[in-house]
Amino acid sequence: MITPRALLSKSAPLLACIGLLCVWQVASMRLETESFPTAWESLRAVPSILGDKESLVNIGASLRRMAIGFSLAVLFSIPLGLLMGRLKSVASFFNPLLMIVYPVPKAALMPIIMLWMGVGEFSKILVIFLGVSLPIIYHSFQGGKAVEEKMLWSGAAMGLSAAQRMFRIVLPAALPEILTGCRTGLVLALITMVTSEMIARQSGAGNILFNALDMAQYDTVFAMIIVIGAMGIILDAAFERLRFALVKWSQPRHDMPLSFT
Amino acid sequence: MSASINKTLLGITPIALFIALWQSLVSFGFAPVTLLPTPGSVFLRLGQQLLTSDFLHEIAATLFRLFAGFGIAVVLGVTIGLAAAVSPAINAVVKPLVRVLAPIPKVALYPALLLILGFDHASKITLVAADALFPILLSTYYGASMVEQKLIWSAMAAGTPRWQILFKVVLPAAMPSILTGCRIGLVISCIVVFLAEMITSTDGLGHMLVQAARTFQTVDMFVPLITISMLGLILNSLLHGLRTYLLRGFPEV
Repeated sequence: MITPRALLSKSAPLLACIGLLCVWQVASMRLETESFPTAWESLRAVPSILGDKESLVNIGASLRRMAIGFSLAVLFSIPLGLLMGRLKSVASFFNPLLMIVYPVPKAALMPIIMLWMGVGEFSKILVIFLGVSLPIIYHSFQGGKAVEEKMLWSGAAMGLSAAQRMFRIVLPAALPEILTGCRTGLVLALITMVTSEMIARQSGAGNILFNALDMAQYDTVFAMIIVIGAMGIILDAAFERLRFALVKWSQPRHDMPLSFT
Repeated sequence: MSASINKTLLGITPIALFIALWQSLVSFGFAPVTLLPTPGSVFLRLGQQLLTSDFLHEIAATLFRLFAGFGIAVVLGVTIGLAAAVSPAINAVVKPLVRVLAPIPKVALYPALLLILGFDHASKITLVAADALFPILLSTYYGASMVEQKLIWSAMAAGTPRWQILFKVVLPAAMPSILTGCRIGLVISCIVVFLAEMITSTDGLGHMLVQAARTFQTVDMFVPLITISMLGLILNSLLHGLRTYLLRGFPEV
């Protein structure tokens, strides 16, 4: 039996979407400029993008690059972050370097990387990898640091080796924090993907978006924004599901998504 | 004392190694100088540029957008975050909106902002504000909703009016969390302002990078990147100073 209240709270994000689209509709009807199509016109342009084979291939290629860059970053950053969290010397070795690298926009490295590696897949994946790594390293570091010493001592007393303690105690204990980092990384991956494709105009979702802007196809611009936004929301929701399955034991402390931490 | 010196030395090592690697790549001929200039020439150019008024003008343009966007984000984020934590009605509206808006990559909104707000400062400032808003809003919300109930009760028992509790109890208690959010927001602002300037701009550091890339001036491509990294570091340490000032008397956080 679903109570009306539960139904309302379930459908709240959907209602929010509809509300935003309504605001958009009203605003564009008020402004009445050609460069700001109404929500309805833009929504109608979405099927024509998704129905077009070429743009589907493009979006697919974008998603594949994102998936590769993201997975590589996860594989690289979690061990590094956990090591930094457990070993003081590793932390003080890497921390200043990370502090310097953090405010550099990773997509801005794109022109330089393009000079070295060309405009191919590799440079784009590398940029996504760089963008995603930092938040995951940071969160794994925080998670690894916060593991309770007593658990490690008991593990050592029961005869676990250092490597075993890392896998059996530190990794699970830091997992909730690591997953927060991965969630931030996911949004960042999407951002980096769009910007890198915008800079290296060759293929991908970002390319469609900015090409449409240059050619003044305004309904395509806004439709593409809807598509990319929907990708963000869907990926985030899917990740939340995964996170729930992985760390059921750790009650989600936050009821709002804590992106970007 | 010597421990902290050791720590600093250890921290400088990877940076020194990185620069050494960079230098050796060039000097042993693995990378041609046209593609990878030597660190010496990059820093020399940075030093020269810092003395020219043009370059300072670009930095000022970037900083202006950064501060304007970040400032708007802080004001809006803290206000909405506090309101959502205090009032259930506002919470019911804000929560689903944030759920939907936070995971959208804001850079994708930039073309729309360009079309609506024009190519001037306004679109860039809005983009920076939109990106920096959510970390600040969320950390304010969590900070304010985790305030110990006992603190509020004691303030009420001491006769503090309800609206003053917000400013005298909730806001200070949420301060550590708010400042963490601001720090994240600041880093994001640095990144986003640069990207926005790379996409369309006539001035600013991002524009410098694009301009250099178009004319294959590799040395000039590194200068804005290093500058934004330095700016990020300086702003970060300023914020850290503000944090230690604001949080004096707080237990270690």
